[in-house]
Amino acid sequence: MIKCRGLSRAFGKRTVVDKLDLAIESGEIFGLLGPNGAGKTTTVRMLTTLLHPTDGEAKVAGFDILRESLQVKRHIGYSPQEINLDRDLSGYQNLLLHGLFHRMPSAADRSRELLSWAGIESHAHEIVRHYSGGMQRRLQIARSVMHNPSILFLDEPTVGLDPQIRRTIWDLIRSLKDKGIGVLLTTHYIEEAEMLCSRVGIMNKGKLIACDTPENLKRITGAYIVEAQVNDSIDYRHFADKTDAYEFARTLAEGSVRIRESTLEDVFIHYAGERFQS
Amino acid sequence: MNVWPVFLREMMIFANRLKKPGYVMAMLVTPLLYLVTFGLGLGRQINMGESTYLIFIVPGICAMSTMTNSFTGIASSLAVGRLHYKSIEEMLVAPISYSSVALGEIAGGTFRGLFSSLFILLAALIMGAHLPLTISFYAAWILTSVMFAALGVVAGFKSKSHEDTSVFSSFIIMPMSFFCGTFFPVDKLPVVVQWFLQLLPLTHSVTCMRAGYQNQNVPIIPFAALTFFCLLSIWLAIVSIRQSLK
Repeated sequence: MIKCRGLSRAFGKRTVVDKLDLAIESGEIFGLLGPNGAGKTTTVRMLTTLLHPTDGEAKVAGFDILRESLQVKRHIGYSPQEINLDRDLSGYQNLLLHGLFHRMPSAADRSRELLSWAGIESHAHEIVRHYSGGMQRRLQIARSVMHNPSILFLDEPTVGLDPQIRRTIWDLIRSLKDKGIGVLLTTHYIEEAEMLCSRVGIMNKGKLIACDTPENLKRITGAYIVEAQVNDSIDYRHFADKTDAYEFARTLAEGSVRIRESTLEDVFIHYAGERFQS
Repeated sequence: MNVWPVFLREMMIFANRLKKPGYVMAMLVTPLLYLVTFGLGLGRQINMGESTYLIFIVPGICAMSTMTNSFTGIASSLAVGRLHYKSIEEMLVAPISYSSVALGEIAGGTFRGLFSSLFILLAALIMGAHLPLTISFYAAWILTSVMFAALGVVAGFKSKSHEDTSVFSSFIIMPMSFFCGTFFPVDKLPVVVQWFLQLLPLTHSVTCMRAGYQNQNVPIIPFAALTFFCLLSIWLAIVSIRQSLK
């Protein structure tokens, strides 16, 4: 589905994506996880042909992102981090135009179908400027799947949304997997990556520092964490086995110890050597 | 080529904006003020031989209005859509060639320019001028609109901030409004200035539109220059879209 080899992007002397090697299979939800500024959005913009790489190469749906950009665009859907709908047009007009851009013969019917899928059919002819943030996000995701892409890029799809709407978006994304659409999702929300993604790549400072299933990543670093207060800081110890974690905890002073299952944030700390600051 | 949906998008946005009276007023007020002030007020004091100053100034103001509305409509729409709302990305990530995006946007800007300046011609008609009757006038009018819409695409894709577009307007579009023969004949100016003005596309637009409006022969060199500037602008528009991704 997606293959990158040495993909890099620099702005002047600042390298934002640094020799990225990545392979994503079709039909999976792959999460690119990392703090703000890790290079996730720049990676997505290169893979969606919106930005040229300064080095390396990538193929999306079997097509080269530079030499065969039109073919790449036929196979992908893209929902960026910012709402990029035409705010002066209605929800229906936004979808209809997208269908025409993709030369869909049944653009009008498909627009109505997707307005219903996104739960905004009663607001179809209202100007998008008057939609709530959640409605705009749902419309944007609906638009990105309108032409039945085989690969969907979702850049921070739930950023800035309240928890209830976030769950609605998660349900929408899960339903895409059921339709066989492969998804590359970027997020800096740990729980979002853990909940939705079959595999996760962790990015920091432009580099991919780890890539595997969430379970394997946590297993590699130790599935259990003992947090112990030492002076003014907290010391983290990773254990593969729960019993070992309990035994170690017993050796420490009471009241300053906590045992918990590890998260992808612990994986990030393990590889990056620093906390995940989103 | 998939130019139609790009043009349709511009037309949908334009149609929604036309519902706002303030937008329509802003589009028409400046050229109408020029027309009334110079055409009726000051113009009555100016001796133009057998003709009137109103007849002289109508094609000039029509060219100026076409330039301003074709350029500004597209340049600001693209700059805001690209830098602020990011709505232009939707077209750039769709399977549409950059040439189609450029031509669709140019067609949108052309329509805006012709639509607004049509009101100037109608207003002039009410004031006692006549409607243009020659094909050469309409050809020059359309070429002018296409050319400045294409330059609007260039400015829209080259701007790094909203201010850049207004800088382009203030230092290139606005001076052309006054010096390219809109309000006074270029041949009254010093020769060196006349040479310089031949480098500015509006000079040729005004010359061709004025000749057409006054039923004179088609001026071959200005018409060729106008066509050249028009093709050059279209090429620059396509290149500027491609370069915006680098």
